[in-house]
Amino acid sequence: MKQNEQPEKAARRVRKVENQKARHQRHEAMEALKMLDALRHDFSKPLSSMDYFYELFEKVYCRREKLHSAKPMVGTLCIQIPYEIIYAMDAVPVRLCNGFHTNEQSGGEFMPAKSCSLVKATLGMLKQEDIPGVDKLDYLVHPTTCDQKTKSISMVEEIGYDVYHMEFPRVKESEESREYWRRTIRKFTKDLSKDLGRKINRRSLKSAIQKVGKAQVAYHRLNELRKLKSVPILGKDIFLITNAFFFDDIERWTEMTLAVCSEVEARVKEEVSAAGKRSPRILYTGSPPIFPNLKLPYMIEQADGVIVADESCSANRLFNDMVSVDEWFMYDMVDAVADRYLKGCTCPIFTKNDDRKRRLKELIESYNVDGVVYQSFAGCQVYEMEQRSIQQQMEALGIPMLYVETDYSPGQGGQLSTRIEAFMESLKVKNRRKQEG
Amino acid sequence: MLYYAGIDIGSTAIKIVIIDEDANIVGQKVSGSGSMFYKYAKESLAQLVQDIGITPNDIVYIVSTGYGRKLFKEADETISEITANAFGAVKAGESFGTIRTIINIGGQDSKAIGLDEHGHVVNFAMNDRCAAGTGKFLDVAAAKLEIDVEELGECHFNASGTPLSINSTCAVFAESEIIGLLGNEHSKEDIVAGIHFSIAKRIIRLAKKVGLNGVIYFDGGPALNAGLVAAIEDELGCELAIPEYPQITTALGAAMLAKEGYSYSVSKELQE
Repeated sequence: MKQNEQPEKAARRVRKVENQKARHQRHEAMEALKMLDALRHDFSKPLSSMDYFYELFEKVYCRREKLHSAKPMVGTLCIQIPYEIIYAMDAVPVRLCNGFHTNEQSGGEFMPAKSCSLVKATLGMLKQEDIPGVDKLDYLVHPTTCDQKTKSISMVEEIGYDVYHMEFPRVKESEESREYWRRTIRKFTKDLSKDLGRKINRRSLKSAIQKVGKAQVAYHRLNELRKLKSVPILGKDIFLITNAFFFDDIERWTEMTLAVCSEVEARVKEEVSAAGKRSPRILYTGSPPIFPNLKLPYMIEQADGVIVADESCSANRLFNDMVSVDEWFMYDMVDAVADRYLKGCTCPIFTKNDDRKRRLKELIESYNVDGVVYQSFAGCQVYEMEQRSIQQQMEALGIPMLYVETDYSPGQGGQLSTRIEAFMESLKVKNRRKQEG
Repeated sequence: MLYYAGIDIGSTAIKIVIIDEDANIVGQKVSGSGSMFYKYAKESLAQLVQDIGITPNDIVYIVSTGYGRKLFKEADETISEITANAFGAVKAGESFGTIRTIINIGGQDSKAIGLDEHGHVVNFAMNDRCAAGTGKFLDVAAAKLEIDVEELGECHFNASGTPLSINSTCAVFAESEIIGLLGNEHSKEDIVAGIHFSIAKRIIRLAKKVGLNGVIYFDGGPALNAGLVAAIEDELGCELAIPEYPQITTALGAAMLAKEGYSYSVSKELQE
């Protein structure tokens, strides 16, 4: 509206200002659809069993359908919150770490300019108070893992959520930290049961551990196939599958992942490869690709690379170690669950992180990796800092590594794709020379 | 005679090199890329073909590179400018000895490339997204100082005092810094020298990431700026190898790859 404007002129400009919430949701849907379309149609030989996952994301982020009904929903803001305990109370855990550029922008107001895209986007989504796929959030758990997550708890509370603070140690190897973390989980188990008014017992916890265990087995079965010489499944599909684990019904997820396994195994028999003959085999590590911010995996595989292994909290870290229980008693099981989450974690927040190096080395060897792509969200200090020691490790191993600093912006000009293409080209030259001797 | 073309569609200029079967450069052309990369590249190639007196059909293989590489539909192959730059530098810099490091400053990015003894890319580093320390930065500074980009080199050597320091890493903020320096009555010459040294420091930091060994080759449009070259050499403490035509190294590399690509596709056809 403009002051003193001629009516005819004003009439030409008549338009309705869109409702802000609807506008935000429309932007989210557009972003989701764009990535889904690209992942689905820009690659040859699609797997038909992947359709379930594409439709799942479309259902949640474009049509905003709710997935779970009548069960208490427990939002988690990090990988470190044990799903087993939540499932044991017949509640549903939903990982809320967000990957939308739209949310990164709207959540930017809470955070310093150079800070983690993931934390900003998660705040932006929580601010909307309409969480995709979730009808009503009954509980929200926030751990004190990295600095930015820890400090953002107060912003989540400022938005109006009740947050359960979960203490997390920064040292992994010591007996003190192990005990500290076990106590955190024991306390969480009691508190959650009390707050939700739901009971947990030996039987329900055992069955929850087994339920998560089955999902882990399905994931590992799929991963075994990525070790093959001609890779039958692309990394972009794997990232979509692991991302779905954030919010999907766990039993349905396991069933659908096994369906992908069967299709891929059939492909192996027919000797169908998803990648080119000379495609460099890539290990992805670093800040987590979370839907729809799958631009780096997308670019790598568009540049004729193939991601055969990954080390991030949106993919392999979800499934790494299984809960190992000595005796199926309540206390033993709760402690065993706690151990799985602390011991298996390779997050760079730890003072010393030799486990991450060991895991990377193990992945490089068993998946026959040609090169490593290390992504760090700009402002994610721990990943940025740990890059140095990983770079040194890779030099010692003779594995080329590309370090990329990015955020959630979808375009990023041609610079990022140029770097990725050049990296793939140099790996191909290296491989060819190795073959020629 | 068969001819091969390399087309480097950059953010500021389109560079084309045509070579013959013996890898001699028979034609080269630099023109602005403006806003219509594809159209201008096509026109520029047609013009060059005409200028050197061959027909478009004489060119049997085209490789495109640079930001606009994917837009050039006639290309038989596309290649990233990093690989093409390395190929071109090895060829153009033969007389300098074994090149192990390339420093390239382009219109909107700067990069350092490390090569092994065979001239293959082993690692590289690029500036992140912003145009600090690139050709764009020089354009912005020259415009503010009301001088031509071509005059920057000359200006550098006329600086009288200690070169001023430009701390900002961003082209836009650097402009405010330049305004500040002008406000303090510093001479254009001192400011220009300051800009060159700030770019030199940045690019050397980048080059150190890939390691500085052997002959260091410097190319890209800004390598035509003698003042900038002097500043980098001063900061580096050694001489740089600069080709006769620093703008076309990457296009030359693409042309060399076109020649290789053609013989590969022919030998494949013969096998089948």
